[in-house]
Amino acid sequence: PNSTITMASASIMLANATKRSMFQALRSSSRLSSAVPSPSFGSARFVTTYYTPAHEYCKVDGNVATVGITDFAQAALGDIVFVDLPEPDDEFEAKESFGSVESVKAASDVYAPVSGKVLEVNETLTDEPALVNTSAEDEAWFIKLEISDESELSGLMGADAYKEHCEKEAH
Amino acid sequence: MGFASRLGQRLVQHRAAARHFSNTLHAAQDLPKLSWLDLRGTGLSAAERLAIEELLLRHDPLERCWGIIGLHEPTQNKILDFALPPYDWNTQRKIATSQLVDEFGHHTGGVNQSCTIILGIGGKPEKLINIDAARDDGVLVLRRFSGGGTVVVDHSSMWTTFIGRNSILPHVKPFPREIMQWSVDAVFGSAFQSWGKEMEDSRSSNPKGKQTLVFKGKSCGLSGGVGESLILPSSADETQQMHSTDTPLFHLKENDYVLGERKIGGNAQAIVKDGWIHHTSFLYDFVDTNMEYLTLPDKRPDYRGNRSHNEFLVRLKEHYGERSNKNAFFEHVKKGVNESFEMEEVSLNDVLTIAEDQFGGLQEWWDTKCRTKVVKL
Repeated sequence: PNSTITMASASIMLANATKRSMFQALRSSSRLSSAVPSPSFGSARFVTTYYTPAHEYCKVDGNVATVGITDFAQAALGDIVFVDLPEPDDEFEAKESFGSVESVKAASDVYAPVSGKVLEVNETLTDEPALVNTSAEDEAWFIKLEISDESELSGLMGADAYKEHCEKEAH
Repeated sequence: MGFASRLGQRLVQHRAAARHFSNTLHAAQDLPKLSWLDLRGTGLSAAERLAIEELLLRHDPLERCWGIIGLHEPTQNKILDFALPPYDWNTQRKIATSQLVDEFGHHTGGVNQSCTIILGIGGKPEKLINIDAARDDGVLVLRRFSGGGTVVVDHSSMWTTFIGRNSILPHVKPFPREIMQWSVDAVFGSAFQSWGKEMEDSRSSNPKGKQTLVFKGKSCGLSGGVGESLILPSSADETQQMHSTDTPLFHLKENDYVLGERKIGGNAQAIVKDGWIHHTSFLYDFVDTNMEYLTLPDKRPDYRGNRSHNEFLVRLKEHYGERSNKNAFFEHVKKGVNESFEMEEVSLNDVLTIAEDQFGGLQEWWDTKCRTKVVKL
């Protein structure tokens, strides 16, 4: 029994060490320094978050991107009063406007970070547009896209680069 | 405290900011370029104006900054073809048999073609409009591509539009409050200051009102030393209504342009990836009954309180109409813009060519990608 427990413990330790090593390797890799993964230790896959200069985010899990506007954007726009979203099965090219958010007196276009087909639309935002102000990068996602060209992800920013972009805009 | 002193105190900071911006740019580089489109006298409708604005915002191949001014027909299109209300057979039959014509020559037949109601992109008609009244009167309702609230526009509404590009105006952050503040600092602060000064100078030189020249009993309206100058007294009612030496200050209150505590126009914005549009319909005059098509909105600025539309809004004509007019306002706006930009005048035909090249015409643009739409009640 002791040797079994020891083996099981060793397996767990080895698995965790492997995950940490992989994470550290990715962080230190200069080739991927602009796209730092946000690992989900409890799941079998990494979900990677990318950002656009126009303040959209997309969380990529496999070939599905969950798209919305960032917390920086919602703070700059003010109280969100309306979200205009597309329909499922609509298709968009990268950088094409797929909808808009209304705040104060402005309707701000929202752009597809990558090309794809809309799989799902967040219907909650129809009745609760203010959710964008309280949970922009979590519950208030706008659409889920089936990515048609994964190579377009390489043109997007990672968390560090986006943070730097926001700091420049704020000054 | 005199009008000019009060105005000067409040607006001096705006003027200084605008002058500093202008001087700094002029010293460091050429003024940013802006294309100027004057739509006065074109006869275009409100819908056509909105279609053109959205086209230039999204599809100008040269990605220019724009300044656009104009007065517009509420409902009668010159270029676009789409069905006007009423959309039900009974009211249509009433029109066909009616001979009623309004002062602008529009065949009305009991249909109100003197105004158009324009909703913001997220506006819900059932919450913002007295649906039955608007439908029964056959009022045209549009949904524009920009945000903001509901406006009622008519022949006297003064439209101003500015399209900014991030690459040309990098100092104007593409967010609502920054854009509004820019509009005051770079354009409207100085425009209302100079308009106010025109009024002040006019009152100083002619305190009592309109002046005419009488020659042998006839008024010829000319000056030149011949005949006798006679100041005709205004009627008491006219003087009471039109003359004011106490024009409240123009400023930005929450997100509205106001004189004192009363709103003088509706404004809205749309923000795209390379720039933004900020457009306003200023209320030179309006018909009270047309405002009754609008409900008291749930979401309204704090400074409004529970005031009705007529208590909350003010006609610019009340403060400037005695000695000035709509065209003078536009000239003051143009003067303000000219201090901040290097202007190039562009014709309507040039703009329609963009529609032709990009979409095959303004009608094609309207029918396909244009987000401004008719709302059928």
